[in-house]
Amino acid sequence: MIEEAKPVPHSADATSEPAWARRLLIGAALGFLLIFLALPLLAVFSEAFRRGAAAFAEALAEPDARAAMRLTLMVAAISVPLNCVFGVAAAWAITKFDFRGKGLLVTLIDLPFSVSPVVAGLIYILIFGANGWFGPFLRDHGIQIVFAVPGIVLATVFVTFPFVARELIPLMAEQGRDDEEAARSLGASGFSTFFRVTLPNIRWGLLYGVLLCNARAMGEFGAVSVVSGHIRGETNTLPLHVEILYNEYNFVAAFATASLLAGLALVTLVLKSVLEWRYDLRGQGH
Amino acid sequence: MGITVEGVSKSFGSFTALQPIELEARPGEFLALLGPSGSGKTTLLRIIAGLEQADTGRVLFDGEDVTGRPVTQRGVGFVFQHYALFKHMTVADNIAFGLTVRPRRLRPAKAEIERRVAELLELVQLKDLGRRYPAQLSGGQRQRVALARALAVEPRILLLDEPFGALDAKVRKELRRWLRELHDRMGLTSIFVTHDQEEALELADRVVVMDHGRIEQVAVPDAVYRAPASAFVFDFVGESNRLPVTVERGRARFGSALLDAGDAADGPGLLFFRPHDVEPALGGEGTLSATVTLARPRAGMTRVEAALDGLDAPLELDLPGEPPAVGERITVRPTRLQVFPDRR
Repeated sequence: MIEEAKPVPHSADATSEPAWARRLLIGAALGFLLIFLALPLLAVFSEAFRRGAAAFAEALAEPDARAAMRLTLMVAAISVPLNCVFGVAAAWAITKFDFRGKGLLVTLIDLPFSVSPVVAGLIYILIFGANGWFGPFLRDHGIQIVFAVPGIVLATVFVTFPFVARELIPLMAEQGRDDEEAARSLGASGFSTFFRVTLPNIRWGLLYGVLLCNARAMGEFGAVSVVSGHIRGETNTLPLHVEILYNEYNFVAAFATASLLAGLALVTLVLKSVLEWRYDLRGQGH
Repeated sequence: MGITVEGVSKSFGSFTALQPIELEARPGEFLALLGPSGSGKTTLLRIIAGLEQADTGRVLFDGEDVTGRPVTQRGVGFVFQHYALFKHMTVADNIAFGLTVRPRRLRPAKAEIERRVAELLELVQLKDLGRRYPAQLSGGQRQRVALARALAVEPRILLLDEPFGALDAKVRKELRRWLRELHDRMGLTSIFVTHDQEEALELADRVVVMDHGRIEQVAVPDAVYRAPASAFVFDFVGESNRLPVTVERGRARFGSALLDAGDAADGPGLLFFRPHDVEPALGGEGTLSATVTLARPRAGMTRVEAALDGLDAPLELDLPGEPPAVGERITVRPTRLQVFPDRR
């Protein structure tokens, strides 16, 4: 076991900078955070409440805003569980089995991170749009994907795919196969091995991935914007609704809606810190 | 329960982990698979357990072919090198796992499971620790929990992968003795993998020495030490001196020295003898002369390191009487030696 480093007297510490340099660096970092992160957040809330709480509540009670909220929640409620299952399956396959094309799968999982969300949206237009590959077939059968809810869900699933898998792959790789093999040697079926051994081993990492996945699913703008068609009350998610209101110079309503998303971000951050704290505690356990 | 391995081989890509292996463990036997890392001993153990599938050959338990049977159906207890305890379960839940995962109709009643767990906790001397978590136990305690968990399903065969590898020397010795007792008391057939020759020689009924995916020797511990079957075994088990020699009509030549080569074939050979199998001599045929570089008193004798012309490593010799001075020229006669053909 490595002993924890003992504090060394200042003069002997090769990495210690003079006091003024440290203050300058810390000051610069804090100033940067304040200007680029804290101030905009503050601005969102102050703009949202500029005309008072009543105007704020009114903006959110408006039918189109309600529809946007409902749609956003619904899209997240579909795409997060889907990616949860996909992510666990992909991480499981990559870390517990050896097969041909594993490297390709790992690369593919990262694709949504490396491609612009707009391109992701355009892919679906190309495939399912009126002039797309499946366009005629879909039209003949009366199925609408693009400019409708299914398209929004597809685009969101695509963009948020890596979050769960990325979180689980290193975790499951580190844990190895021993626990699963032990369970199997004790007679456990694949099903009970997964639910009684694997899942508990990855639960915090999984929750963490789900949390980030959810934040992105609710906040995604680019890909959704391309496939949504911006039909008010029907295919507008919260981020799209904010844009529309803003373009109409309806600032209070725009910021009120934006403050919901900002609030979601804050809650996500808090939960993320709590999870990281739990993660660490477990990390020290073995 | 007897275990028979027939012509089992295994490769991983281009790496040959096991050449076709023949091996038999008699019912009630405690067998050690001994070898350096990469010798294939763990692969062989995992194939017997069903955790790995052999490329060729068969595995039989009491004459019954189990080659196609998955690990879940083989009914073997397997103890992993790093224990593989379930971190989120208490010690008691870990031990009960093999019983609680059974299909409902085969699962013992809750009270029965609790009784079994209490019994096993007592058996592994962890009576009061059932409600702890693995992280709260010492290495030796974790190892015993892993054993209890494997024994809960009442296997007739116990397979252990480097069972003492991660423990400190003192705990290791205690656990070794205890494991041997447990094996005898429960009438198990056990195979364990180790790279520690002392462990293998002390614990096992028979030792299987492996190298490069081959079995070099299967013998009782004493025979492995006294009559190694190959140059590798002589080198790997116990301390030894190794001289490259040329064999000619029963004589092994090293430089100007001539030693008795027994019935070794003519050609290049490797001559081995143990440090304690020497006696001081005056010179002549059958002796070696070397210059002392180090002399350390040991219980009842002196360990001498001596440089022999034409050999990189110093000879290690255990000599009686007063320690010789460094730089002194000494002559010794190996009293027991073996010559193997040099395969390279």
